[in-house]
Amino acid sequence: MKLAPLNTVGNAHDDSVWTAAWVPATDESPPLLLTGSLDETVRLWNPEGPQKLQTNTGHCLGVVSVAAHPSGRIAASASIDSFIRVFDVATNNTIATLEAPPSEVWQLQFNPQGTILAAAGGGSASVKLWDTAQWQLTATLSVPRLEGLKPSEKTGSKKFVLSVAWSPDGRQIACGSMDGTISIFDVTRTKFLHHLEGHNMPVRSLVYSSAPLDARVLFSASDDGHIHVYDTEGKTLISSLSGHSGWVLSVDVSPDGMAIATGSSDRTVRLWDLKMRAAAQIMTGHTDQVWSVAFGPPLTTDVRSCLLASVSDDKSLSFYKYA
Amino acid sequence: MAFVYIPVQNSEEEVRVALDQLPRDATDILDILKAEQAPLDLWLIIAREYFKQGKIEQFRQILEEGSSPEIDEYYADVRYERIAILNALGAYYSYLGKIETKQREKEEHYIMATQYYNKASRIDMHEPSTWIGKGQLLLAKGDVEQAFNAFKIVLDGDRDNVPALLGQACVHFSRGRYSDSLELYKRALQVYPRCPAAVRLGIALCHYKLGHLEKAKQSFCRVLQLDPENVEALVALGISDLQTNEASTIRSGMEKMQMAFEIYPYCAMSLNYLANHFFFTGQHFLVEQLTETALAVTTHGPTKSHSYYNLARSYHSKGDYEKAGMYYMASVKESNKPHEFILPYYGLGQVQMKLGDLRSALSNFEKVLEVQPENCETLKALGHIYFQLGQNEKAQELFKKATKVDPRDPQAFLDLGELLLSTDDCAALDAFKTARNLLKKGNEEVPIELLNNIGALHFDRGEFELAGEAFMEALGDGLWRDFVDAKAQSSFRNVEQSDVSGERFSPSRKVQSSLINSALYPIDASSSLHQPRDFQLFHRLEEQGTSVELPWNKVSTLFNFARVLEQMHDTEMASIFYRLILFKYPDYTDAYLRLAAIAKARNNIQLSIELIGDALKVDDKCQDALLMLGDLELKNDDWVKAKETFRAAKDATDGTDSYAAVCLGNWNCFAAIRNEKRAPKLEATHLEKAKELYTKVLQQNPANLYAANGAGVVLAEKGQFDIAKDLFTQVQEAASGSFNVQMPDIWINLAHVHFAQGNFALAVKMYQNCLRKFYYNTDSQVLLYLARTHYEAEQWEDCKKTLLRAIHLAPSNYTFRFDVGVAMQKFSASTLQKTKRTVDEVRATVAELKNAVRLFSLLSSASNLHFHGFDETKIGTHVGYCQHLLDAAKVHCELAEREEQKNQERIKVMQQMELADESRRKAEEQRKFQLEKRKQEDELKQVMQQEKHLERIKEQWKSSVSASKRKDRSQTEEEESGHGEKRRRKGGKRKKKEKTSHYESEVEADMENQEDVEYEDANTNYREAPDDQVENNPQDLLAAAGLEDSDAEDDAAAPPLNASRVRRAWSESDEDEPLQRQSEPEHVVDMQESDAEGASDD
Repeated sequence: MKLAPLNTVGNAHDDSVWTAAWVPATDESPPLLLTGSLDETVRLWNPEGPQKLQTNTGHCLGVVSVAAHPSGRIAASASIDSFIRVFDVATNNTIATLEAPPSEVWQLQFNPQGTILAAAGGGSASVKLWDTAQWQLTATLSVPRLEGLKPSEKTGSKKFVLSVAWSPDGRQIACGSMDGTISIFDVTRTKFLHHLEGHNMPVRSLVYSSAPLDARVLFSASDDGHIHVYDTEGKTLISSLSGHSGWVLSVDVSPDGMAIATGSSDRTVRLWDLKMRAAAQIMTGHTDQVWSVAFGPPLTTDVRSCLLASVSDDKSLSFYKYA
Repeated sequence: MAFVYIPVQNSEEEVRVALDQLPRDATDILDILKAEQAPLDLWLIIAREYFKQGKIEQFRQILEEGSSPEIDEYYADVRYERIAILNALGAYYSYLGKIETKQREKEEHYIMATQYYNKASRIDMHEPSTWIGKGQLLLAKGDVEQAFNAFKIVLDGDRDNVPALLGQACVHFSRGRYSDSLELYKRALQVYPRCPAAVRLGIALCHYKLGHLEKAKQSFCRVLQLDPENVEALVALGISDLQTNEASTIRSGMEKMQMAFEIYPYCAMSLNYLANHFFFTGQHFLVEQLTETALAVTTHGPTKSHSYYNLARSYHSKGDYEKAGMYYMASVKESNKPHEFILPYYGLGQVQMKLGDLRSALSNFEKVLEVQPENCETLKALGHIYFQLGQNEKAQELFKKATKVDPRDPQAFLDLGELLLSTDDCAALDAFKTARNLLKKGNEEVPIELLNNIGALHFDRGEFELAGEAFMEALGDGLWRDFVDAKAQSSFRNVEQSDVSGERFSPSRKVQSSLINSALYPIDASSSLHQPRDFQLFHRLEEQGTSVELPWNKVSTLFNFARVLEQMHDTEMASIFYRLILFKYPDYTDAYLRLAAIAKARNNIQLSIELIGDALKVDDKCQDALLMLGDLELKNDDWVKAKETFRAAKDATDGTDSYAAVCLGNWNCFAAIRNEKRAPKLEATHLEKAKELYTKVLQQNPANLYAANGAGVVLAEKGQFDIAKDLFTQVQEAASGSFNVQMPDIWINLAHVHFAQGNFALAVKMYQNCLRKFYYNTDSQVLLYLARTHYEAEQWEDCKKTLLRAIHLAPSNYTFRFDVGVAMQKFSASTLQKTKRTVDEVRATVAELKNAVRLFSLLSSASNLHFHGFDETKIGTHVGYCQHLLDAAKVHCELAEREEQKNQERIKVMQQMELADESRRKAEEQRKFQLEKRKQEDELKQVMQQEKHLERIKEQWKSSVSASKRKDRSQTEEEESGHGEKRRRKGGKRKKKEKTSHYESEVEADMENQEDVEYEDANTNYREAPDDQVENNPQDLLAAAGLEDSDAEDDAAAPPLNASRVRRAWSESDEDEPLQRQSEPEHVVDMQESDAEGASDD
């Protein structure tokens, strides 16, 4: 289990790069990487090279999230002005512009089936679900307050939904909020199931395990510097990983489910061997916050390895080979 | 059987006297001698016989009778015999004098002896035996010079006179001229080979003194051959045996000593050596008896000194320091020459050190050092004394010397290291490491304290890996190691696919690890928040049969190890270890405080407070806990409670602790600037109080950075920026020079001052550096300061970007969104006011305005749902204004677009004309040159017409521009006057009338005017906003030291406060931009290392 640095694109954007997501391969193209930045553009990269394929404009204020449809043909990006732009990956034609005021938009995720786009709704304390056929708002999953807290309390305003993740079967959604609580929803019944506690600081990134037997295992990255491993069904904390000296901004799980990668404000990317509770490898290539890490699909040449991309406030984009 | 025959007077007969049957009463024989007028030599023979038989009284009686005046008269012509009798008496008395110990009687005996010798001299001045006697008397009296003269007189007369030779040899010996003495002894032996063993003893002693040890030994042996009972020779041989340092010879030496003692129990020398022997065998009673006898029988200074020393040593080893000191002192007094006998000085020094008389001990040890400058033990002892006297440098010097003299003495390095702790961590670490290596080399066990110290020093230097290793080594095996190992094992129930990790561990370890893992996780997610107060883990382990042990001497080290883990961000493990400590030692408050600090770092304030509560349950006066609690209460906005807690903390130390005082100072500082509605009076009193507290702390401890920072804040609040700046700069320099001090606030404060003085570029740099250096660029509050600086510097783009970053970092803080809106609005307004602008600029402006409107309207709709802390109507106003601007901008935009369109049209026309020209030219060419002239005229006409047309277009354009401009302005004014009125009303409420005009002036696009206003504005803001921002984060310097030593515990753990607040950092004036920051006093607090335990203690 190892990360080997491949290449780094300095000044991949004109300003801080805040988000990245892989676009699955299509018949015409290999897997590509989408990145979004404070410079209000979304860019498309071919890791071969690496080569910049496209620069999409059309957002105002910084781009905070990008997500790709499982088909690899369409993608969505969201910015601070609370618009979601859905576009054709190949042509950059706008397919739809979504908004649900006054809800702002943070993390975006398509469900594994590609039928629903989930968007973390920030201050609206909810996750908005858009259907991908008509681009209509189909449901709003509202996060209830924790029992015992009166609405008038100041903490009430802190149920601010930042991050969202789909379970591998597409039935569950987990969302993380500013106060550190994670909420689990049953999507099919659009029902709130329960909270997962343990963090007390913003949870900016969530991901379900990709290992076949661990479908109910959820990884969460928080500003408290810890990565928690939860059993979403049993409502238990399986493990807590510490080691980052700053906020953990992003977490992603490897396709084989054996490792997770995290990016942190401490400028490092860490690879964690899930068999151990410590970081297996620490990459120190970036000179500023690492806002996002993303594992790509397995390589066609070697199914046991894949690419990892990391983007940072230092405007750069790095690729690594995970094997 | 020997007889003497006394001739009977006037007859041939003789009286036969058997010498061994002399009558007990000497009077009988005297009567015979007198009656028969026996020759005087007979008297002498009989007296001598009495003497030999030990009948001293009779001996004296006869001789005294023999030297009486009648005899003188009667035997007047018998000179030699009379002299012999007198000399015998003289010798007798000088012997008495010699052996007498009491000074007065000694004197008397000597006087008697002198009298007899003088009498003898009167009979015959030149009799050599008298001179010899006199010489020996003088020698006995110690009058070496005179003795020398006496013997010289004899030797001048007869150079082979044996007694004189011996006497002279003795003189030379006493003078220290051993080779001369040896010569004389040899001559005496040549002259009289059968002389007694004592002569050879003299030779032996001379050899000894001359350093010919082998020859001396031979001579002593010869003495013993001749006289097996010669005590001196026995003692001398014994000594030389003892000095060989070999067990067997030492034993034979001791036997000789014993023999000497049996022969003559009053030889001080042998007594001393025997005492010495029994000292080492531990028979103190014998030591005392022997030395006391020795003291009684000798007057010889050095010997007495030795005896006293033995006695002192005996008492010393028995622990009777008073007595030992007395005898050491006596010993020192007797010898008084450190060069000859240094040991009692050392002993005295030791005893005095023990009794606390450091100064005397110091002088004694220094005397030892004068004699033996490289004596390690003495160097160390002196080092300790200097250390205790507070003269660290001298102490260090001595220890360094000691380590140089003996670089293999771990103890010396250990001592040196401990000494260096207070001054030079780096050197101390080196010393400790050397000590560790030496101990390891010697296969000795390295004490846990030493390893602990090494670890703590590494920790202080920020070398956490090394520190961890040292602590781990100190801890050895135990539950903690199982935990560390377990960490490397699988911790997920389902992810048990491969078995790679198995190889590293023995099966038993693996079992242990999996037991631990199963005890650790899983835990219920909802209880995970309270995990740090949960000891279930250990109960579970005990149920599983794992023994949960923690020896008392490893507690501190485990705590330190946990601190290292914390520093290396392995907070999980650290937390487990703190809990382990508490599980076994529930009174260990520091562990509670660290757990509280971890909880606080993870923003679990409630839990943190509970943990501190636990600590306070153990010790309700625990100052660290109180201070931390106060800080947490501040964080929770519990102002009154916090103040009480700080007071309690201050009282807990009788008000002497600077940390608590600084905290109270901070409290006052916050209190002064926290109120939205300013109460100048209250503010002034709070500031005054704060200043007083800071000043007091600074008086006690001028190096307290936090108090200095606080003082700077107060000064800045009062507008004394230059002084404040100086102060901050100094603190910053001091803080950046120290490894342990993390003080971002000072950077921020300095930046604030730069900002206040209009030094925007510098302020920006400061803020940026601070962000990068301390916060990984994640502190949105500092970003806000930065944005404000950009705003004041009119760098709109930077300002906007900075704010967007802040939004991204703190998405739920809607004030940032509002601020972005304001920045964009301001940017647009200023662009529109420009006299020259391109279409692109105007378009960008329009786009920005649209964004601003969108942001404001989103905010206003969101604020219906949530509580953001700002006024809806204010947002409304902004929306209104932006929309108005947008309208205005539309006009601008249309205008600009039209302008551009016209420009393009004109270009088109030109191009068309050119095209037309060309086509015409081509046509003309076809028509050849026949009608050239006419065509030329036509052409000219056409051109002229076109020119006219162009001019007309230009005119049109000009007039339209001026018209629209006029229109624009009037519109704006109308709108603005409305706003203005509204504002004035508001302003009136806030007593800030003078500023009500800003808004208009800004919009009215009067550049100069605006600049003025802006400037003033900046100044007024200065007074208000940035001052508020000036932060103070006084953390006690000492506390920051954390691990320093156990004494530091008092200073530790207290919550530094950070009074960073921006009340209205953003707005141009209160009423214009209602950016009332939700005044959340943010106390950036780092929980200090509350521990302390650790480092150099133990």
